[in-house]
Amino acid sequence: MGHSMKRKEDARFIQGKGHYVDDIKLPGMLYMDIVRSPYAYAKIKNIDTEAALKVPGVVAVVTGRDLEKYNLHWMPTLMSDTQMVLPTDTVMYQAQEVAAVIATSRYAARDGREAVLVEYEPMKPVMDPYKSLLPNAPVLRPDKPGKTDNHIWHWEVGDKEKTEAVFAKAEVVVKQDMYIPRIHVASIETCGCVADYDKVNNHLTMYMTTQAPHAIRTVIALVAGHVGLTEEKIRVISPDLGGGFGGKVPVYPGYVIAIAVSFLVGAPVKWIEDRSENLQADSFARDYHITAEMAGTKDGKILATRFKVLADHGYTDASANPSKFPTGLFSIGTGSYDYGTAYMEADAVYTNKPPGGVAYRCSFRVTEAVHAIERITDRFALEVGKDPAELRMQNFIKKEDFPWKSPTGWTYDSGDYHAGLKKAMDAIDYAGLRKEQAEKRAKGELMGIGISTFTEIVGAGPSKDFDILGIKMFDSAEIRVHPTGKAIARFGTKSQGQGHETTYAQIIAEELGIPAEHIQVEEGDTDTAPYGLGTYASRSTPTAGAAAAMAARKLRDKARKIAAYLLEVSEADLEWEPGKFFVKGAPEKVKTIQEIVFAAYTNHPQGMEAGFEATHYYDPPNLTFPSGAYICVVDVDKETGGINVRRFVAIDDCGHIINPMIVQGQVHGGLTQGIAPAMYEELIYDEAGNILNGTLMDYLVPTAVESPSWETGHVVTPSPHHPIGAKGVGESPTVGAPPAIANAIVDALSPYGITHLDIPITPFKVWKALKEKGAI
Amino acid sequence: MTTTITKTFQVDFPIEAVWDNLTNPDKVVNCVPGASLTEKVDADNFKGEVELKFGPVKAKYAGLITFLERDAAARKMVMKGVGTDSKGKGGADMEMNGHLVEKDGGTEVSVSMEVSVTGMLAQFGSRLINDVTNQVFDQFVNNFKGQLAGQTVDNDLSAGSIVGGMLKGIFGK
Repeated sequence: MGHSMKRKEDARFIQGKGHYVDDIKLPGMLYMDIVRSPYAYAKIKNIDTEAALKVPGVVAVVTGRDLEKYNLHWMPTLMSDTQMVLPTDTVMYQAQEVAAVIATSRYAARDGREAVLVEYEPMKPVMDPYKSLLPNAPVLRPDKPGKTDNHIWHWEVGDKEKTEAVFAKAEVVVKQDMYIPRIHVASIETCGCVADYDKVNNHLTMYMTTQAPHAIRTVIALVAGHVGLTEEKIRVISPDLGGGFGGKVPVYPGYVIAIAVSFLVGAPVKWIEDRSENLQADSFARDYHITAEMAGTKDGKILATRFKVLADHGYTDASANPSKFPTGLFSIGTGSYDYGTAYMEADAVYTNKPPGGVAYRCSFRVTEAVHAIERITDRFALEVGKDPAELRMQNFIKKEDFPWKSPTGWTYDSGDYHAGLKKAMDAIDYAGLRKEQAEKRAKGELMGIGISTFTEIVGAGPSKDFDILGIKMFDSAEIRVHPTGKAIARFGTKSQGQGHETTYAQIIAEELGIPAEHIQVEEGDTDTAPYGLGTYASRSTPTAGAAAAMAARKLRDKARKIAAYLLEVSEADLEWEPGKFFVKGAPEKVKTIQEIVFAAYTNHPQGMEAGFEATHYYDPPNLTFPSGAYICVVDVDKETGGINVRRFVAIDDCGHIINPMIVQGQVHGGLTQGIAPAMYEELIYDEAGNILNGTLMDYLVPTAVESPSWETGHVVTPSPHHPIGAKGVGESPTVGAPPAIANAIVDALSPYGITHLDIPITPFKVWKALKEKGAI
Repeated sequence: MTTTITKTFQVDFPIEAVWDNLTNPDKVVNCVPGASLTEKVDADNFKGEVELKFGPVKAKYAGLITFLERDAAARKMVMKGVGTDSKGKGGADMEMNGHLVEKDGGTEVSVSMEVSVTGMLAQFGSRLINDVTNQVFDQFVNNFKGQLAGQTVDNDLSAGSIVGGMLKGIFGK
């Protein structure tokens, strides 16, 4: 632990030897392509497949009517809503699946797709979530019995009356509407699968791009059990994944159609999305309209916050949240500040947009919450005329007050927010920057400094509150040590590039003393790995990483017994040092872990089970609460609105660090995915329901060119309840960076009376705001 | 995806001749690049086809063209076209307003065109729709002037190839 061991998986990745779903080729495999709707809302009048079936190589065209015969045309979402696999009557968003073409080659399938003639009767779509709630809006989901409006659910947390009372009496109240735009994970690898149904053995092997193979196996069994495909007959294999970021948690219709077709024709069926399909039809993230309010005193003490959210879920709620949390963990939005009163409410609506939303590198709506609290805190600082760093220092929860109970019910495990912000301010020379800013302002130049001091909530989660479709959100590890002292370890999680093969091996090495290079880590095959809920929401280290430590400790207990037997002493006389047990006071009487393991197979004590294996299912007692202090400096060109991120310092507290190099890599990637929504990314729809940036020509994913040089650092407050004190880090930077950047840009523009801009803050938005204020 | 373009231009022909060209379905459609009439439904309604090209994306819309207004006294006309892509890839609507005024011994023509597209063209062509519509419109104006002058009008879709050239430049192919 704590060593920057080079990533074991990189040997294959950097040599192009990764093995992805699209690399799988099976004998007799057919290829599937999907006909998609050009309209956001339309009745299907007719689907003419005649010409498509004449295309050489095309073997079948599947429509919703075909699936209806097997009751497979609808499927449940993870949020207990329903989603069409293929429509029978109505399409609900542009790019929705309408029919599937099966052919002997990918090219033939695409040619067949072009030949399918669909006759639509377009209807006027509902694109604005506020208009969707108006009484005259068409009811988008008449398939749901008794549904008379487009409202999905209402959620609230906190003390409404007490909050209102504090707001009524407060000296200062600030309020800000903000929109956290709909964005897409845009992982390098798109989604896809190979469904291989073996008729003779009634067995399905499903190779697919999934972050949660076991959960998917259970979902398939729930959906297809009625046609005889029960859970023991299903094997889900998730090979190497080219990024997931939450986008590979949901079950997309394409997977289900591929299974249905393989089941019906008895041949393997491959489906791989193209880039535009991925961007246009797969689950979006965010899309929260938030009204944030903060009440406080004139001298800058925060007293209460109140958030109101309108969540646009598209035509079905296909989020991937724990079941009891329709807004995910949005209630972390009271932030890093010490006050006792808060109220939050949210309403979700249907619109004619693609369904979702997923937790894009974010522990279930934490990004939205952090943006709201960090923006409104800056608004409050501006209102009371205090420096935003000073105001944060004044309001932080103190190190000695942990564990700290938040007004929305969470118990923060540990943190030292003052130390984090101080370290960031020292690193960037905050005082110097403010001095420089004053000088620049005197000359009419625009420079801004933005701070974000966020608290994350990850590692879902404790079984009393956290489940997905009823399955508790524990995770698992199984360690088998071979007679020669080398091990294989299997997990219920699934790496998408995070480096699990290295970090898990390091945890086991730390606990058991077997060198990490001799521990092979395997994930993603439901036939071999122990059951787990998968990798997302920064949960792998907090759950499966903990399970690895616990399983290793079980083995260490067994090792102690064997060592005592071999050395002919009592267990109490033995002392452990990584890699060996020795007799207290007689260090020459020693047994290495390798000798002990060998004995477990060759010379184990009478009455003891042979072998050296352990499994642990870890149910975390609490979530972990990583935090960060980020400071960003921007220079804004007044004439063009151009924004240059000059410096960005990120100080993270993710508890004990297993592999500093991997953590740094995670932080760099996460920060880049943080600058993305802050300055570039947004899925834009017009009133007719067209997506206006459905290709990577128009949807701006930042590249190395746009990325500033990130400066990173750490403070460490170990999680007191995690076996190795780790907290998880993957998402912190994505969550924490956008408000730092937005705060910096608004700070640069504040001399002209600009107090807020919605992300993504583009040069045009800046230029327009300056123009409106008469600054240029 | 909707775009509106308005243009005003002067022609050295009497208003009567211009009005005839603008309100005669065969003549006006003949000036629209990529358009053709296929069937006369009644005096105000016609079936026709329009081909649009946005760089690599080509769509052929079959639909109905309707004269909503042809007010000879006020010299105002409104024409509407509604079409769907023949391959089910989307749809397009167009409304054209024309107004003529006698000026400087000739005629001043004001035409505004509102074009909205749905489906694939809107998805891939959103950044190009203004430019393409503008070029199509310019070509329409040239054709219209040429037809008045008695020239043979070529309403081939050349606007698309210009955009195509631009895209090729971007992609470097």
